[in-house]
This record gives sequence, C-alpha cells and structure tokens, in this order.
Amino acid sequence: MSNLEIGLASFPALLILIFIRVPIGLAMFLVGLVGLYFTTGSFNLPLARLKSETFSTFSSYSLSIVPMFLLMGHFATLGGMSSALFKAAESFLGHRKGGIAMAAIGACAGFGSICGSSLATAATMGRVALPQLRKYGYSGGFSTATLAAGGTLGILIPPSIVLVIYAILTEQNIAKLFLAAFIPGILAALGYVIAISIYVRLHPEAAGVKAAVPYADRFAALFKVWPVLLVFALVVGGIYQGWFTPTEGAAVGAAGTGFIAWMNKGLTRSTLIESFLVTAKSSAMIFFIILGAGFYNGFLALTQVPQEISNFVVSQGFSPWVVLSIILLFYLVFGCLMDSLSMILLTIPIFFPVIVELDFGMSQEQIAIWFGILVLIVVEVGLITPPVGMNLFVINAMDRSTPLAQTYKVVMYFVASDIARVILLVAFPAITLFWLRA
Amino acid sequence: MRNLATQAARLMAICGGLVLTLLIVLICISVVGRSLNGLLHGWIGSVMPGLSAWALDLGVGPINGDFELVEAGVAFAIFAFLPLCQISAGHASVDIFTAKLPMRINRVLQLGIDVIFAIVLISIAYQLYNGMLSKQSYGDTTFLLQFPIWWAYAASLSGAVLTAVIAFYVAGIRAVECLRGEDILSQEPGLDL
Amino acid sequence: ADYSFNLQSFLPAQATIPSKIIDVWADNVEQASGGRIEINRYAAMQLGGKPPELIDQVLDGVIDMTWNVVGYTPGRYPSTEVFELPFLVNDAGPASAAFWKMLEADIAEREFGNLKVLGGWVHGPGVIHANKAVTVPSDFNGMKIRGASRQVNAMLKELGATPVGMPVPAVPEALSKGVIDGTTIPWEVTKALKVPELVEHHTEFTGPMLYTVTFVLVMNKDKFAALPADLQAVIEDNSGLEFSIFAGTTQQAYDTPGRDVAVNRGNSIVTLDVAQSAVWAEAAQPVYGAWIEEMKGRGLDGQAMIDQATALMNAN
Ligand code: NA
Ligand code: NA
Repeated sequence: MSNLEIGLASFPALLILIFIRVPIGLAMFLVGLVGLYFTTGSFNLPLARLKSETFSTFSSYSLSIVPMFLLMGHFATLGGMSSALFKAAESFLGHRKGGIAMAAIGACAGFGSICGSSLATAATMGRVALPQLRKYGYSGGFSTATLAAGGTLGILIPPSIVLVIYAILTEQNIAKLFLAAFIPGILAALGYVIAISIYVRLHPEAAGVKAAVPYADRFAALFKVWPVLLVFALVVGGIYQGWFTPTEGAAVGAAGTGFIAWMNKGLTRSTLIESFLVTAKSSAMIFFIILGAGFYNGFLALTQVPQEISNFVVSQGFSPWVVLSIILLFYLVFGCLMDSLSMILLTIPIFFPVIVELDFGMSQEQIAIWFGILVLIVVEVGLITPPVGMNLFVINAMDRSTPLAQTYKVVMYFVASDIARVILLVAFPAITLFWLRA
Repeated sequence: MRNLATQAARLMAICGGLVLTLLIVLICISVVGRSLNGLLHGWIGSVMPGLSAWALDLGVGPINGDFELVEAGVAFAIFAFLPLCQISAGHASVDIFTAKLPMRINRVLQLGIDVIFAIVLISIAYQLYNGMLSKQSYGDTTFLLQFPIWWAYAASLSGAVLTAVIAFYVAGIRAVECLRGEDILSQEPGLDL
Repeated sequence: ADYSFNLQSFLPAQATIPSKIIDVWADNVEQASGGRIEINRYAAMQLGGKPPELIDQVLDGVIDMTWNVVGYTPGRYPSTEVFELPFLVNDAGPASAAFWKMLEADIAEREFGNLKVLGGWVHGPGVIHANKAVTVPSDFNGMKIRGASRQVNAMLKELGATPVGMPVPAVPEALSKGVIDGTTIPWEVTKALKVPELVEHHTEFTGPMLYTVTFVLVMNKDKFAALPADLQAVIEDNSGLEFSIFAGTTQQAYDTPGRDVAVNRGNSIVTLDVAQSAVWAEAAQPVYGAWIEEMKGRGLDGQAMIDQATALMNAN
C-alpha cells in the first residue's frame, strides 16, 4: 500500500474503532500509532514520538486555558451566580407565556458569558432552572429540551473552550474569534426564545403560568447579577483590550469567581475539592483527546492525505459554497453521534486547508474566523441532536420522570432554530465579521 | 484495593488542582506586577518619582519566567488528572452502536479496550521516563529561569505512573467482570464536562 | 527514490529559510543524487510536536532532518552561544563561515556528537521593534521585550528591559495585545509575522550587530551512516562551509525586503550612529563576563572561543 492509501484506509479504521466504543482519544492514538507502523515499517518512530510528545502536549501555555475555564465555571456556580442569573431573568420574563423557559435561556446566555463549556452550562443551569420549570407546570420534554439547548450557549457565547482549540489548531487569534462569536451567540439566544414562543403557541398545555413580579423586586434581582457582568467584562474585555493573554484572562476569571464564591461562603474545603475533581476528570478527558488527535494528525500529514484532498477539491473547481455546505452538513450528521471537541480535532486539519484555499471573496483570516464560528455552531448542534446528544443526556439524567423520547421531540424546535441561524450566517458573513472590520 | 486505587487517584487529582490554583495565583500576581510596573514607569513615576524608584528597586514587575512555570505546572496537573479519569471511565466514547449488544459481548469488548488502554498508558509512562532521562543527559534548561527541564518531566512522571498502574488494575477488573459475568466498575462515560 | 528522508521545521513553507535556503539545498541534493535521494519537506510542525523538540525528533529518529534555532534547546549547546554575544558579529556571511569552521573543528564533535551536522549559520542584524522610540538603553526601562535565546534574554535584562520568553509564533498576538512592548528579531522575519503593522518604531545599529542567533541543519547520524558512500558524498558536497555561507548571506539579503515593508508603511526607523551604538555595546558588556564565567563552570574556555570566533570572522 502507498502512504496515501494507508492514510485513506485510516478513516474507516478510525470510525469502526469509535463505533465499537473505543474512547475517541484512544482510537485516534491507536490508528496514528498503527498507521505510523505501516508507513515507516517499525514501531520505533511512534514510540520515539512518545518520549517528548505527551509532555509537550500537556505543557502547553495556550491549552492551560482549558482547566482554568473549567474551574472558573465551577466557582461561578459555587458563588451563586447561576441562581442569581436565573432569578433575575425569571423576574422579568416568568409571567409571560413560556416565560420561565425563556428566562432559563437568558440565564444560560448569561452563564455562558463566564463559562467556557457547554455541558457545564447545561448541568449548572439544569440544577437551578429545572425544578422551577417543573413547579410551574412546564412539561418534562419542554423543560429538558430548553435547558439542553440553553447549555450550548455556554460554548456559543465567548469565552469558549472549543473556540480556543480551533484557534490553536488553525493558528488564529483567540481574541478575534471570541469577538466574532459574540453576535452569533446573541442570535442563538434570540433564536431559542423564538423557538420557545412558537412551541408554546402550538402546545399551550406544555407551559403553566406564573404571577408577575413587582418592578422593585425585578431590579433588586437584576442588581444581584453584577458579579457576572464584572467577571465577563474583566475576562473577555481584558483579553480583547490586551490587558492580558487569553490564558491570563482565564486565570484572572478563575481567581475572580473563586473570590466571589469565597465571599458568598460557597467555597468551602469540600466544595473546592469537588471542583478540583470535576475539573480534573474533564480536563484529563479533553487533553487525552488532544494527545490522540495530535498523534493521528501527525500520521495523516506524513501520508500527505490532507494536502491531496485539498489539492483535489481545489483543482475540481467546485463552487466554494457547495464545498462549505457539504462540510457543514457532514458536521450536522456526525454531530448526531460524536462530541464537539473530538469532531473539531479530528476534522479541522483536513477541512481547514481546503476551506482557506477557496475563493469566498474574503481574506484568508476572515475565512478562517467565519468558518470557525460556523463550525462551532454546527458541532454544538450535535450536542442536542438525537440520538447522541451529551446535553440531552445530562439534563435528562436530572429528570428521571421524563422519557428521553419526549426530550427528543421538543428539542427539534431548537435544532430548527440552529439550522436557520447557520443558513443566515453562511449567507451573510458580515454578521460574523461585523466587529472585526479594521 | 478498589478503594485504595480510587483514593490514590482522588489524591493525585487534588494535588493537580492545587498546582493549578497556584498557577492561577502566580499568573494574577504577574499580571498585577506587570500593570504596576507600567504605572510606576508611567504616571506614578512622574508624580512620585521617589516612591516609584523605591518600588521598582523592590522588583515590582511581572514574575520572571511565569510562562515557563505555567508550562511545567500545567503538565504536572494534567498528568495528575489522568488517574481519576481512568478509574472513573471518564474518557469520551460513542456507545450508541454497542448499547444493543448482549451484556456478555459488551464485557468482552470493554476488556479488550481496557487492556489496550493499559498497554498504551504503560508505554506513555515508560517513554516519558526515557524522555526525562534524555533531557537530563542533554542538560536542557528553560529560557529565563534556567531550571532543568527534566525536573518538570520528573514531576509529570508521578501522575503518568499512577495512571499506568490504575489502567493495569482496571484491565484486571474487567477480566474478573468477564469471568464472573457481573459489573464491578462503572462503564458509563463521564458526563460532567 | 532509493532513500527517502523527512525534513520537518517550524516556520511556514513560504518563509525565507524553508523556501530560499532549505528548499534550494534539498533540491540540489536530490538532483545531484540522480533522483536516488528524496527529501520530503514538512513545514510548520505538520508532523507534530513543538519547535524545541525538533532536535530530539532527529535524535530519536522520528524525523530524519531538521534545521532549527540552536537556542531553542537552552543549555544544550553552550559553545554555539559565542556567536550570540552582543555586538560581536558584523556580517552574517563571514560569521556563518566562522561558525561552520568552529563546528567542524570541535563543537560538532563535542556537543552535537550524536547528530550529523550539515550546516551552521547566523541571521542578519538583530533589530529592536517596539511600540515607542528606543534610542538609549534607559528607554528600555519598564519595557517588556521578547528575546529569542538565553543569551539574547540575558542581554535584554542587562540593557534594562524586562525580557519575556515566548515562542516566535506568539509574537504577533502578544504585540497586538500589548502583552509585550517590543521584540528583537531580524528584518527578514518581520514580514511574515506582520511586525511592521503592529509596532511603528524600529531601532537599527551601526557597526557590530546588537545580536544574532545561530541555526543548524542536522541529520540523524544512523540514517546518514546507512547511506552508500557515493550518496554520503553527494550530501556532504552540498553541505558544509559553502552551504553555511550561502545560508547566512541569503538570510541577511532578505532583510532588505523585510525592511522595505516598514519603510513603505512610513514607520519610524532609527539607525543609531557609531557613537550611539557604542553606548549600547558598553551597557551590554557584562553579558560577556557572565557567559565566560558560566563556560568555566562547564569546563570550557569562553574567552578563547570569543578570540577564535573573532579571528575567523576577520580572516574572511
Ligand atoms: Na461561554
Ligand atoms: Na448529537
């Protein structure tokens, strides 16, 4: 077999391993290792790579942002920021038709502005909002679907771990990507609110009513949200203003939320240990996938497959828009089965060189940022598309009385809103690139 | 035994968490020091030159080599986080296609996966050890603080070795599960990202 | 081809060193071998790893060849640092010749013993690029300046700046965000890193260079030994002194187009005259003493190396 054939054969091999439940990081690692064996004829090379590559992957200054953002999200919850956000949003919106669900989306968006992870946002806001939704007569499927969708705002609104990984993979500016994600993130929240209002019109029985809250109480609740605003302004604003690097921003954010949690007596010895353990588990999982992907991508580069695919696509003269649509569709389909980070790490080294070579009438940097935001959205849709949607599982696990099938049914309204948003952003790149005009 | 492994993994993860916290504090001090340094050279320096010179002599500024310390520290932290992920089946996987298979087949599959995982993690720890030895023999240091890089490798090795031991242990448990036909450890992927 | 080698490096394929130096060398080798040798080039760390690992990747046989900044493995190749001492080198051509001769005479044997060294060169004059005008060392006070190697950082510290260690690819973002106030790099790489768009002030020196940095082109020793004698000769004929001089002079020649970008943007370029440059050289002098002292600790005669390097550079 030629190197090119070995590289191409690695795709089905990887898929088979992943589908027989081999952990995704391990699968990429193994295929990379065996692939290197076939291309070089010995195990010396992959073993030699291990001498320094695990250490250098884990000792990355830019990637140290990942555990820091995870810790920051936990501290924010311990500091009561998630419940403060939900109470404020609920006091303004709760009395409307479907208002508590809308409030949950609003609170998710707020929490997303200080949390870089989707599952953490879903889980945190689920704990806060799910009991309220059920108490006021919102149906099980409606409640769980709303929170699962709201969770994706954790990633769509900056800061965002997936965007950090994309920025590192494609050597783009993290601050610019965060800025570009801002308007699409707000549009996502608005789209979900519209999806909710459509759903309650079609299914009025699925939502109960709640009495309006006096304005004085509303503003009192709103006032309690100030730490969230402060941390968001400091972290995202500081990164963009150049007060510090993204990693420094994450550290300042973690320290800030940790301090607020301590002030609010949420940070005790046991909750701190709990935060460490959860951060440890998620970080280890993410870094192991990154390690496996690095190993696999190094092997792929050696086989020249990414260059050949890029050359092929460019030389065929396909319409750039058709290529882009196919790639986005691919993510939507695979998102039904795989998690977002794995998909990004697995596919960006193949798709990115293709996309930036195509003529969209934009500079390469503009394409890279626009494509990054589009990919971010479609992989996040994967978190709420049946059958495998991590956010759906997380929220459903909190409400055992609701069958997963009911969640699946309602969540399609939110998926529809996501797809509408993707079409809008593909058609009008200027929406994404609005803040980046020099 | 199982309790011991879990406790060791938890303890290691807490050590990693503490180091991560130290890095966060270090970065914050460095950021504050850098800003103050700028102010002392800027308007504070022009308004209160004496105070400014005194503070600058004290060394108010960014922490020398903060970048290097973060790199070494985060490597230790991630290696220290791995054992917990291993013992609690925290690695992301796709189980939709295997969910319908009979329990027996699933157990055999899990045994196969965890045996391979153990081999991989043992190799990683062993090669990290070899990497440490070569860094030691070449005398590589960091740029600014100029501490030997093999120190950072050695710190990371503690987590890598515990991960390898735990992976070996988990593979053993899976073999027992296969033989006895009952679950001992969880197979659920970790959902708490 | 009978023998296929993988050459990995960290800069993008279109940068000066990969496209104007390494490609030329590799094409010559391939051609002279009559197609029996093939050198696959992987830029921008495509095959994995980080720049400081390149040398180890060759040693461990992960890749077969690389060119790299020697200073990326601080402390491992102390003798090469003689060329990185402030205000020692005048011109990249003679300096590259001197560097190669010293490599060939003993440094390669002593410090690169487990590698086949094919070339060694230095870049053109190191230039200061900063967000404010820098004309005297005291202008450096309170400025965070990025340096490329151990000795460059030692010099920056001596001159009063706060040295910041970060990899080259991080420089543009750090500059644009104000994380650093300036960087020291030769003109040649400023174009690819878009430095003239990020800062408006550049400081050049007259006479000896503020500093330079050493590069080597190396090959896995076993892979070289496994070649038949005629192909070994092909590689050696295209490498060594002549190639090293070519590499140094080529890299320095590409400083001009790099500088033109800053000129065309209307940036402020200050060229310090001989007297002004001498003030800087004086301020940087303690770096010499510290380095000689450190070499003594390693059992090396630093002063003799300085004398030898100076004599070889003057002889050319
Ligand atoms: Na976020
Ligand atoms: Na899905």
